[in-house]
Amino acid sequence: MQITRLPSRRLCLLALLLTSPALQAAELTQTRDPDSGLMSWKKQDRGFSLELIQLYPDFVAAVYSSRGLPPAVVDSMKEYCVFGSIAQNQSGGTLAYRVADWRYVTPDGQQHRLKTKPEWVAEWKKLGADFGWSILPAAVSFDTGDWAQGFTTVHLPPGSRFDLIYSWSHHGKRYTGKLENLACAPAKPAER
Amino acid sequence: MPARLRSLLNASALCLWATLCLVSPAWAALPLPELSHTLTALKPAKAAPDFALPDLDGKLHRLSDYRGNVVLVNFWATWCPPCRREMPSMERLSQQLKGQPFVVLAIDQQETPDSVFVFTGQLDPSPTFPILFDRDSAVAPAWGVLGLPTSFIVDKGGRIVYRAMGGRDFDHPDIVRAVRELLKK
Repeated sequence: MQITRLPSRRLCLLALLLTSPALQAAELTQTRDPDSGLMSWKKQDRGFSLELIQLYPDFVAAVYSSRGLPPAVVDSMKEYCVFGSIAQNQSGGTLAYRVADWRYVTPDGQQHRLKTKPEWVAEWKKLGADFGWSILPAAVSFDTGDWAQGFTTVHLPPGSRFDLIYSWSHHGKRYTGKLENLACAPAKPAER
Repeated sequence: MPARLRSLLNASALCLWATLCLVSPAWAALPLPELSHTLTALKPAKAAPDFALPDLDGKLHRLSDYRGNVVLVNFWATWCPPCRREMPSMERLSQQLKGQPFVVLAIDQQETPDSVFVFTGQLDPSPTFPILFDRDSAVAPAWGVLGLPTSFIVDKGGRIVYRAMGGRDFDHPDIVRAVRELLKK
């Protein structure tokens, strides 16, 4: 009995392993919105998915100014290239990430920290405002099906190119991913 | 205050909403993930932090007053795309479980009743459950909310038994089943 059942168990185990997110190859999707002309990049890798979506500077300024936030807060975003970002857990277990561990790499090879949500909140508090919910949560431990979204801010001018090195942990093991040749949105939409 | 009168008086909120809509095409068009339908069971379940927050009409709602009910506590804001997408499903869930000890409490973050009123009028179905106001985001940190939307399901004994971070399709059969199980207990 046991002898005949063993191969099928092995087959099941093999099938499980092959379909496990942890063993699947990284998948990069790059899209361009035909209406806005904005680019987005999404990488699904070992159960963690990260997507960055370009946003025009005027749009970001409008998001903050339409909430009645002080002009100083709106101005504070102008030095940054801002992306809509979505982090998803597709692992089948618990994942964690920390934006403080992530780095962007400029064409000169220099690595730079990303400004985190607590850093934005601290800065805005001094200006008498708080819109921290708009920024991607800085340190998250989340479960299958969970996702976090918010702005990711990169201290670069419009149109700049860079790579993003990001990391996450799963079952106590740290993984690293890279989104290459990302571009900040241009200052203005292209003329049609 | 009658809805029509309130709507007329809320010209400023309307302007704000119109502004948001005008600047929102790119935001609204973001290729957001599908609403998921998983719930994370919290083991062990932990006591839900109590709160007392006003609704649209200024009436105070205290979580502890709902003891004996299963409560879906949802932290959200009008400008948050997945929050907007999931809210109709919360109303549909509420309608499915009408007559049973089930309550939805949607806690708006840092917005005014005027702006929320204008927003909810555009939803189909429009929410009939209480929308509460955490104007200075004092309640959200006590619940460990890191981002919007985040939802919790509280059992009849006032314990948080499920958490969901990110948008959910709350009337998905899996979630309905989980809530019905809690209602049986």
